[in-house]
Amino acid sequence: MALFAVFPTTFFLTLLSLRTYQSEVSAERLPLTPVSLKVSTNSTHQSLHLQWTVHNLPYHQELKMVFQIQISRIETSNVIWVGNYSTTVKWNQVLHWSWESELPLECATHFVRIKSVVDDAKFPEPNFWSNWSSWEEVSVQDSFGQDILFVFPKDKLVEEGSNVTICYVSRNIQNNVSCYLEGKQIHGEQLDPHVTSFNLSSVPFIRNKGTNIYCEASQGNVSKGIKGIVLFVSKVLEEPKNFSCETQDFKTLHCTWDPGTDTALGWFKQPSQSYTLFESFSGEKKLCTHKNWCNWQITQDSEETYNFTLIAENYLRKRSVNILFNLTHRVYLMNPFSVNFENVNATNAIMTWKVHSMRNNFTYLCQIELHGEGKMMQYNVSIKVNGEYFLSELEPATEYMARVRCADASHFWKWSEWSGQNFTTLEAAPSEAPDVWRIVNLEPGNHTVTLFWKPLSKLHANGKILFYNVVVENLDKPSRSELHSIPAPANSTKLILDRCSYQICVTANNSVGASPASVIVISADPESKDVEEERIAGTEGGFSLSWKPQPGDVIGYVVDWCDHTQDVLGDFQWKNVGPNTTSTVISTDAFRPGVRYDFRIYGLSTKRIACLLEKKTGYSQELAPSDNPHVLVDTLTSHSFTLSWKDYSTESQPGFIQGYHVYLKSKARQCHPRFEKAVLSDGSECCKYKIDNPEEKALIVDNLKPESFYEFFVTPFTSAGEGPNATFTKVTTPDEHSAMLIHILLPMVFCVLLIMVMCYLKSQWIKETCYPDIPDPYKSSILSLIKFKENPHLTIMNVSDCIPDAIEVVSKPEGTKIQFLGTRKSLTETELTKPNYLYLLPTEKNHSGPGPCICFENLTYNQAASDSGSCGHVPVPPKAPSMLGLMTSPENVLKALEKNYMNSLGEIPAGETSLNYVSQLASPMFGDKDSLPTNPVEPPHCSEYKMQMAVPLRLALPPPTENSSLSSITLLDPGEHYR
Amino acid sequence: MNRRQGRGHGTDLRLPLPARLCLLTLLSPPLSSAASISPPEPISQAYRLALYMQKNTSMLLWTYLQYQGSPFSDPGFSAPELQLSSLPPATAFFKTWHALDDGERLSLAQRAFLALTQHLQLVGDDQSDLNPGSPILLAQLGAARLRAQGLLGSMATSMTALGLPIPPEEDTLGLVAFGASAFERKCRGYMVTREYGHWTDRAVRDLALLKAKYPA
Repeated sequence: MALFAVFPTTFFLTLLSLRTYQSEVSAERLPLTPVSLKVSTNSTHQSLHLQWTVHNLPYHQELKMVFQIQISRIETSNVIWVGNYSTTVKWNQVLHWSWESELPLECATHFVRIKSVVDDAKFPEPNFWSNWSSWEEVSVQDSFGQDILFVFPKDKLVEEGSNVTICYVSRNIQNNVSCYLEGKQIHGEQLDPHVTSFNLSSVPFIRNKGTNIYCEASQGNVSKGIKGIVLFVSKVLEEPKNFSCETQDFKTLHCTWDPGTDTALGWFKQPSQSYTLFESFSGEKKLCTHKNWCNWQITQDSEETYNFTLIAENYLRKRSVNILFNLTHRVYLMNPFSVNFENVNATNAIMTWKVHSMRNNFTYLCQIELHGEGKMMQYNVSIKVNGEYFLSELEPATEYMARVRCADASHFWKWSEWSGQNFTTLEAAPSEAPDVWRIVNLEPGNHTVTLFWKPLSKLHANGKILFYNVVVENLDKPSRSELHSIPAPANSTKLILDRCSYQICVTANNSVGASPASVIVISADPESKDVEEERIAGTEGGFSLSWKPQPGDVIGYVVDWCDHTQDVLGDFQWKNVGPNTTSTVISTDAFRPGVRYDFRIYGLSTKRIACLLEKKTGYSQELAPSDNPHVLVDTLTSHSFTLSWKDYSTESQPGFIQGYHVYLKSKARQCHPRFEKAVLSDGSECCKYKIDNPEEKALIVDNLKPESFYEFFVTPFTSAGEGPNATFTKVTTPDEHSAMLIHILLPMVFCVLLIMVMCYLKSQWIKETCYPDIPDPYKSSILSLIKFKENPHLTIMNVSDCIPDAIEVVSKPEGTKIQFLGTRKSLTETELTKPNYLYLLPTEKNHSGPGPCICFENLTYNQAASDSGSCGHVPVPPKAPSMLGLMTSPENVLKALEKNYMNSLGEIPAGETSLNYVSQLASPMFGDKDSLPTNPVEPPHCSEYKMQMAVPLRLALPPPTENSSLSSITLLDPGEHYR
Repeated sequence: MNRRQGRGHGTDLRLPLPARLCLLTLLSPPLSSAASISPPEPISQAYRLALYMQKNTSMLLWTYLQYQGSPFSDPGFSAPELQLSSLPPATAFFKTWHALDDGERLSLAQRAFLALTQHLQLVGDDQSDLNPGSPILLAQLGAARLRAQGLLGSMATSMTALGLPIPPEEDTLGLVAFGASAFERKCRGYMVTREYGHWTDRAVRDLALLKAKYPA
């Protein structure tokens, strides 16, 4: 009850005191009006800064008050912002408040006024707002210069994606102002005739040098000026990612993070963001000098728990990330050291290492990785300071790389870096017998055995193979075994053995020992019987072989093969097959397309004797022939020809030759029988004949037309196709008759040639026989005629004894003895005192007087002499050949003889005026040159015989006078005649 | 504005040997014994240097504009209305220009290039703030300033040789508005590089006139 009694009393008293206070304030100090309002501007931040005081505040009292602020733009009635500001006001306190304008302050006049109200619990009653203060006008345009255009805000820094308002002030409203952002025009809102604002929403980051925004004032097309601003748009500051701290030594904490985008801007508008590390337990702060890591010193007395805050900061934003951790949970060990290997042998080793000691009783978890032979093994081990691990089941003679890393075993944070070392295990004896096979060549009296073995794999060699031991033991005769040691890396050897059975053991040896032996038995009997070779088709994967099982017990089969064309030793391969297998696939990358491989399949008896079972040959992939045969054209006739290519080898081809295609082109559209039409790769048509037998290497192409042009081309084909394209060979069939003509013409031509050659060779003889220069009277047919007709005793005058004819008209009464000399010398000495005229009498009887003469002219002789036109006495040298050849015809001679114009040589009797004729045919008086013919000579047919020798002009006779025919004096030069 | 495109960036520093020698000689202060030098020689040297400078001015302007962004880097950008009060204008009425005597002619050029060297220094500073990672532009601005200084020295030698008084060196920039906005600085750089070209063209004409007047 007492309580109830006291409470209303207290409440009343309190209320009373408050009422009293309020009445004091309101009655005595009121109104609490904001006074001394001053407004300043910050162009950089586009903010209005207000400061005022409150009058009438009681001394040393605080009151919570609310101030309402109105901001108008351009004119007071245009209120753009109204807001309340609550604060506790002290006596005589100057109050400050700022307002940031979206619109750059330079672009519009702002007006500010303020009113207040007490909002204090001490005055629970509703309060009344004070009166508004008077409007305060804020204008920064007065500070402008004389320019006609201004753009604001200058060099503003904003964040990417924010909204920005820019504006321009144009002094001259006549000017047309256009504004552009990075070259693109922007459109704004006119605030008054001079001011236009542009709201740019979500401004993009273009470059760290800022974004140019400019306005151009112009009148008509005349630019009045350009003004602009650079808007610095910053990338948004990102929160640091992957922030973590760890220690390696309990002395330093190393903190790292991913900083994200650098927000630095050009012109020092904004530097790169800064990073600060703050630890809340200690309250320490550190400004990091690197953008993605920072070190923090751990002091001895510091706690084990840390609460780190990483603060990223730039001018526009602050970002932070926080981590809380225990130091012992963030131990990142330094990598182990002193990694060593002890007791290394062929198959195991002991690995040891050390860990940097962190604290006492620390347990470390270590991980060991063993790399070798392309494999990796991993082991985990828990250790104290010194680590040791026994590595077993290693391969002999193998290089291994072992490495180790460790971590705190109790609070795993992360592994240390690796520390590693290489080591090599020791060698061991080879573990497997070498794979051995052989080729046996039977020779008279012995076997030549070529042994091949494959090098042991690294797994089985257990070290470096140094040599191979080959032990040859005669099974038929007890004898000492032969040992051949062949140094590695040889993989074959040749043995010459006599016709006995031999056992051959081959072992591979390294520095430690020998491998198990590989045993082969060479039988004394000929091992191979006649086995037919079978063709098989391979595939790209290899050859699939199957065979009939060998009767009897076999311990396995061996398939060996080699390149068909190559030397056997060069590419010899074999494969062992189990005893129950009768087929296998030989697949190896070594099989090349277009290469023929020969396979032989052997059965191995229990005595290790090999018996050839089958032979097979084939191509892994047949190819088209690589070359075409060289084709010869035989027996070309007008209707056929034969093509042959006997030299073409079908064996050494990149596929089994199945036959040949013969292509024939001719002008005729129709193909010959047996040929079919085909289209070549170049589109031309031709005829094709297919030969299916690869050994048929000839073809008779018949039914051809004579004198026709044919083209042919022969190409072999395999299952993969034809041989390469090549040019066609051209053939033209001969004319049908030409062959016959040749049969006739050739012998004829030959005969003619023979005759011509003979004639040439015997030309002298023929000449002498048929047409001598000087006819031989003895050989003349005339002789026989004469003999036959009249005088069997008549002989032929010897020319050498002749004195040529001379017909002389002697005008002197006394006879002039004319000397006829047989020699030229005597002739030259002869004095022809008056050899006035020389007549040749007409041969015909009716010819009464001297008539025209026939002059035998030899132009090869002295022209001057012949031109003299004189016939004269012709001294005929003795033994001169007869001049029968000079007679025009034998008939003349015959007539002359018939008329007894006998040869006479003599002197015309003195005192007679007569016609003396000195006949060339006159018979000499057998050496008596002085004797004259008794018979008068009638002149025969007037002949003029021109000199056949050079005659001195002085010997030339005078020209003939009237009634005389051309006289002739023939002066014979014995030198000229004896030719 | 017709802008001639240069053969490539960064060529300015690779001066041919004669030009380098020229610069070296001209950068040295005029000797007191310069009066003994006959006028044609320094005039000819100055003329050759001006000719060489003329080849690179458009390149400098082009490079400068490329680094400033739009509208400067826009094709065909030209703003002749932008004028820098601290730089004497290179344009003049031909009659007035032609009527100038040697002393006036060289003094005007001397003053202009003095102002240009100072302005090029200012522009270089501005650009090293804005474009610190653009050594090509900074190198070209530096080379232009060096050449302007070279021409100054060369013209001073010519004036000495002609017996003309050398105008005193003065701070043409005066009070620089360090608070100039980025855009204003870009504009200022544009005007300086542009006027550098105009004054170089004028210097070539000036020196050609003098060269003709004082033949070697």
